[in-house]
Amino acid sequence: MLELENKTVIFMNSEFIILIIKRFISSIIILFLLITFVFILIRLAPGDPSQKYLSSKLSPELIEKVKVSYKLNTSVTEQYFSFIGNFIKGDLGISYNYRKPVTEVISEFLPFTLILSSVSFLIQIILSFFLTILAVKKVNGIFDRFLSKSVIIIYVIPTFVLGVILIYVFSIKWNILPSSGVKSYGNDEKNFFIILFDYLQHLILPVITLSLGGVAVFYKYLRDNITNVYNRTFIDFLRANGYSEREILIHNVIPNAVNPLISVAGIELGLLLSGTLITEIIFSLPGMGRLTMDAILSRDYPLVIGCTLTASVLILLSNFAADLIKAIIDKRFVKGLA
Amino acid sequence: MFSKLKIRHYLLFLFLLLIGIRFNLICYGFYFLYSYIKLVFTDFNSAYNILDVPQLDYTISLILVVALPIILLLFKKRAKWLENRINFSNCFFLLLFFFFLFAPIITNENPDFQKNLNVTRLLPPFSSVEVLHLKAQKKIQDDNISEFLSIKKEFVKNSFNESIILVDSVGNRKNYYYQGNKKINLDKNILALKNGRPYITAKLFILGTDEYGRDLFSRVIYGTRISLIVGIGAIIFSLIIGLIFGFLAGYSGGSIDILLSRITDLFLTFPIIFLILLILSLFGNNLFAVIIVLGITGWMTLFKVVRSEVISIKRKDFFITSGLLGLTNLQLLRREIIPLILAPIIVNIVFQFASVILAESALSYLGLGVGMDYPSWGSMIEAGQEYLSKAWWMSFFPGLMLVLTLLSANNFGREINRLYNPWISDDKQQI
Repeated sequence: MLELENKTVIFMNSEFIILIIKRFISSIIILFLLITFVFILIRLAPGDPSQKYLSSKLSPELIEKVKVSYKLNTSVTEQYFSFIGNFIKGDLGISYNYRKPVTEVISEFLPFTLILSSVSFLIQIILSFFLTILAVKKVNGIFDRFLSKSVIIIYVIPTFVLGVILIYVFSIKWNILPSSGVKSYGNDEKNFFIILFDYLQHLILPVITLSLGGVAVFYKYLRDNITNVYNRTFIDFLRANGYSEREILIHNVIPNAVNPLISVAGIELGLLLSGTLITEIIFSLPGMGRLTMDAILSRDYPLVIGCTLTASVLILLSNFAADLIKAIIDKRFVKGLA
Repeated sequence: MFSKLKIRHYLLFLFLLLIGIRFNLICYGFYFLYSYIKLVFTDFNSAYNILDVPQLDYTISLILVVALPIILLLFKKRAKWLENRINFSNCFFLLLFFFFLFAPIITNENPDFQKNLNVTRLLPPFSSVEVLHLKAQKKIQDDNISEFLSIKKEFVKNSFNESIILVDSVGNRKNYYYQGNKKINLDKNILALKNGRPYITAKLFILGTDEYGRDLFSRVIYGTRISLIVGIGAIIFSLIIGLIFGFLAGYSGGSIDILLSRITDLFLTFPIIFLILLILSLFGNNLFAVIIVLGITGWMTLFKVVRSEVISIKRKDFFITSGLLGLTNLQLLRREIIPLILAPIIVNIVFQFASVILAESALSYLGLGVGMDYPSWGSMIEAGQEYLSKAWWMSFFPGLMLVLTLLSANNFGREINRLYNPWISDDKQQI
């Protein structure tokens, strides 16, 4: 009961609210600077979107019309201020490729990435916890040493190499899983469960590709921290008092070991949410990463800025969530919120 | 027995292997060098005009093959790293530098060489084809230059070669050959003769060929060059930026420190891969652009390391004294700070090296890397993905090289870290 009160006290505190407001303001400043930076970068680049329609048939007057329709005839500062004004109103402009508002396009692609990355994140956390607990049962045992070696190898394998290996083994050699896309053709009129199963089948390889690297990172951190905590004296004290190993592990070791992991997990989650670019390209999945890549390659400037903004907001949010969880677990980290 | 081997044994083995395999080529190379020097003294202008990048490349590797062992022998006492025990990571690193320096001599093949596509396309590893050597065209002129050019053609490999035909098999009487399933009649008179018999050799593709019939082995080895060039170039860039900014922020403190730290946070907030893609696609991608962009986007961790170290050093007495003695900022950085922070910087650099190589391959995989002019591991993996069902070797071997490079760089960094910070658990630095 006492512990609970302590935890609630943090949130009642006015200092805490001030910290959150500070964090919010600094995040907004970061986002603003970032968008300005991307805007400058885009305007510095040679060429503009009207060149996409250039051909011998296009008369100079028509080019001017295209430029006017893109508002490229005004000066750069004017463009910038109108852009910022629209941005504050919540209007990110209209995508050149999709001919739809940017927010609409992003809301089409975002759910897929959110689902994929959160599933992958959960798998990373659960699997690394499971493996670590198996490994630290006997430190420097066979299983532990085997895992430590293989984790380094898995950690260094780049995503695209891993994806290609998985496609080769599962799609081409054994032919049990599809290699790309999210659904098979001609499945629309079938049973709900068949369609669901089809979706799941398509998502197995991407999720494995996304998860393995993160499992390696989390495993290394967790194993390191847990062995460090086991070396402390209070564990010996608890053992001497007759607590069972299981109780020590759950109530004392893990809470002390997860703190550094949480900030790593926040960064990892942010990177995953902001677009799992290479995985989406290997398996040709419709997500934020591929949307951003296509927007960059086809010079769809409003969409580029929209995607950048979404990615940064997600990264900032997940970092903030990590800091918040850290502060809840350990009051000493409250200062880290600002 | 194996554990007692040292790096100098390994280097000796590598050099002996290289010279043993390519002995003919190296001897011919010195003949080529001799004739070029002769040409320089007889006709300087044409010698100057003939000189091109591949020739320079071949000549430098040729000289290094002989010069490097001698230099190492002379400086045996100074180079203490030669006495280190071998392990996987430093062996592989040395092998990479070997590939980097001696790529033309090792491969003896142009990475873009293609000929008779129907014979050489998508050959599996360890397959070989027959090479028919044709008679040389009649020399139009008989002067120094054309003689030198004919010598050069034998040594400096081009991406084309008019005087050979690659075939699957030749008939017993040398009057027909097979290309694919096509049987083609052969006129014996066009064949070059050696010891009175038609000159036919075999050509081995150790790692197979790709979809354009190019030798994968030479492409993988030339790909090492691109990876190392990009890695080293980008590291130098980020080292300069990180050192200067870190020193400025840590030494002067105040508003500059806050500003630079905020900029670093800004860079760290953004998914950096999108920034790199954006810059490369907006301003065009080539080798130098990739190096510069990867250098500019990789200085943040180095900045943080240097800044924190400088802040701790600047309160120490010896540093304050040096400042009072009147040393300029640059002298302070060079004499007082860099020697002290060398260890963390080196550790940081090695991990940065691995991440830059990874980033370069990822960019090449996405098609925004060093471009089609150079063979890069990433673009080779990307090209192989299309032919995965027919030719697994196309993406397997570059991928293997990439993974081994990253693995040995990571191990190397951890080893250095353990050497300099024996009291810190090494695993935290790694990730």
